[in-house]
Amino acid sequence: MKIVGIVGSNADFSYNRLLLDFIAKKFNKLIDVEVLDIADVPMFNQSDDQTNSDVIQDLNKKILGADGVIIATPEYNHSIPSALQSVLEWLSFKIHPLDGKPVMIVGASYDVQGSSRSQLHLRQILDAPGVNAVVMPGNEFLLGEVHKAFDKEKNLKDKETTQFLESCIKKFIRFINVVNVMHSPDGMKDLSSTEDLYATGFIDTTIKDINMLDDDWVEQAANKTNAVDGNTYVKLNRGILTVDQINYFLDSMPAELTFADSNNQFLYYNYKYEAEDMLAARRPEQVGYPLAECHPDRAYSSVAWVIQQLRTGKEDVVRTHVPTHGPDKFVVHSYQAVRNGEGNYLGINEYVRDIKPIIDWYLEQTGQQLTGGGVDAVSGATSKVDSVSGATVKNN
Amino acid sequence: MKNFVGIVGTNSDSSTNRQLLQFIQKHFAGKANMEVCEIKDLPSFNKPKDREPPVEVQKLSDKIMEADGVIISTPEYNHSVPAVLKSTLEWLSYTTQPLIDKPVMITGASYGRLGSSRSQAHLRQMLDAPELKARIMPSSEFLLGYSLQAFDENGDLKNQSKIEELEGIFNDFIQFVDITNQLVSAKSVHKKQAQRFSWEDH
Ligand SMILES: Cc1cc2nc3c(=O)[nH]c(=O)nc-3n(C[C@@H](O)[C@@H](O)[C@H](O)COP(=O)(O)O)c2cc1C
Ligand SMILES: Cc1cc2nc3c(=O)[nH]c(=O)nc-3n(C[C@H](O)[C@H](O)[C@H](O)COP(=O)(O)O)c2cc1C
Repeated sequence: MKIVGIVGSNADFSYNRLLLDFIAKKFNKLIDVEVLDIADVPMFNQSDDQTNSDVIQDLNKKILGADGVIIATPEYNHSIPSALQSVLEWLSFKIHPLDGKPVMIVGASYDVQGSSRSQLHLRQILDAPGVNAVVMPGNEFLLGEVHKAFDKEKNLKDKETTQFLESCIKKFIRFINVVNVMHSPDGMKDLSSTEDLYATGFIDTTIKDINMLDDDWVEQAANKTNAVDGNTYVKLNRGILTVDQINYFLDSMPAELTFADSNNQFLYYNYKYEAEDMLAARRPEQVGYPLAECHPDRAYSSVAWVIQQLRTGKEDVVRTHVPTHGPDKFVVHSYQAVRNGEGNYLGINEYVRDIKPIIDWYLEQTGQQLTGGGVDAVSGATSKVDSVSGATVKNN
Repeated sequence: MKNFVGIVGTNSDSSTNRQLLQFIQKHFAGKANMEVCEIKDLPSFNKPKDREPPVEVQKLSDKIMEADGVIISTPEYNHSVPAVLKSTLEWLSYTTQPLIDKPVMITGASYGRLGSSRSQAHLRQMLDAPELKARIMPSSEFLLGYSLQAFDENGDLKNQSKIEELEGIFNDFIQFVDITNQLVSAKSVHKKQAQRFSWEDH
């Protein structure tokens, strides 16, 4: 997700710039932030139109091309600084790049109140008809006493503050999706908001207090839960195997297996091949990721739709064929609902396989042939997902 | 006779707020001397390390220091105060701080019906900040809506009841200036305290 961060200060040294740089660095797996300075933007003057100057056009293009904007504002005399005000005047005079754009406000100031007043002003300003941005409600991120807030590495010192900031960023990502749905033309429904693809909630089995995006999530989670491994026996329904045996058994399955729980967190895959040798690439460090991180933005709507079919019980399995592997492979992705004895949805078992060897073998054994263009038999099963992905074209 | 400074809150070549201040200057010439001051040639504020005002800022600041009271007339840009007026206040708060305890009256003109009510509310909050600390006349708003149609060819307000409203407020302001200046000289200690306030060294 592409985000533009606007530094609301033109000071040579700015804490608000530090804050945006920190957001860009700390959450680079969630969002891709480009931090923009406004020091070179001239003072707005309606009698001296400089809309076509490079600085303003540059801001304009970058904002237009972004999924969302984060504005970091200091507080000057209980309001936003003139430098930021001037930028917003240029961006509401002859051009209106913020129109309909999802915006999140953060702010750092000297006072303990941490820019609370200027943030309120900024909200009202962004709401003016010439600007017409869509500002995320609630979730004020105020960084007060900012001169004490950062350590030498330019990281926020306080853990809880960082956690709160992370929750704000995650909400902003969801907010952007909601705004996109709101603005999509009728019939082009974006369903991504129907599922919490960022796994911001938790379920009974969620292993808490470990960053889902950490590369060694598995090791940390194993430590935390004292997970067994090796030749320890595990009792199953129905049988007893060692952990090693379970691993070898799952590795021998003729499919790439992936398990994501009902919180939409990716918990397991039968890691046997490296990503480049797989039909659906997975990397060891991705385990633990929320599903949003395993897919490109444009797939969110389809992913959410598939999970909804399984979660609501409409389907037990949804299949799609992926033709991009060429004519020698019939690659099918199956999304199978995992349910407990009562039928409650526990997660998704995605198994990916090339079914051509089986079809070839079967045809040979039975002396039959594929007719009517060859692969119809397979593509017939894919209409469901196709009908969704066709409906997810976003209007950007 | 009082000496006032009127500040045109915009850098626009044509401005109904400028017209309004010019009208006030003319209409109340018997009650007060008012100099209409421009802010369009002030440099943009950018937090200089030395906290020194540029000459233009110093000039404006001196005039404010000298004056018995200040009238600021603000347009409304995006529901707030134009950047150029904000920049002026930033200079004044960051360098010379001439507005501390200065009686201030706010007026405003806008093209639409609301007559800059939202930007006046913002301006009030700003003038209340610790480095500005102006004495804003309470419960008085002079809002001039549909400002493009408000003046005749002599630069006079066309609407008689608007003129009466302005006269009422202006008379109040003259009294407010007297009361405030008495109060302030009684508490000149307070003034010194406020002048020492700075966001960055506490
Ligand atoms: C960038 C920009 C934003 C504006 N936003 C507002 C607004 O929010 N409300 C309003 O009444 N007028 C708005 N206007 C019109 C104002 O210019 C006008 O109402 C103003 O108050 C007139 O003051 P002046 O004649 O002294 O320039 C805006 C104008 C510009 C250039
Ligand atoms: C003109 C001016 C006015 C200020 N007014 C306020 C204020 O009202 N409230 C506040 O918390 N800090 C105020 N400050 C201090 C700022 O919070 C501080 O300069 C902060 O570092 C600005 O953010 P930046 O580092 O991103 O530029 C003011 C600073 C300046 C220069």
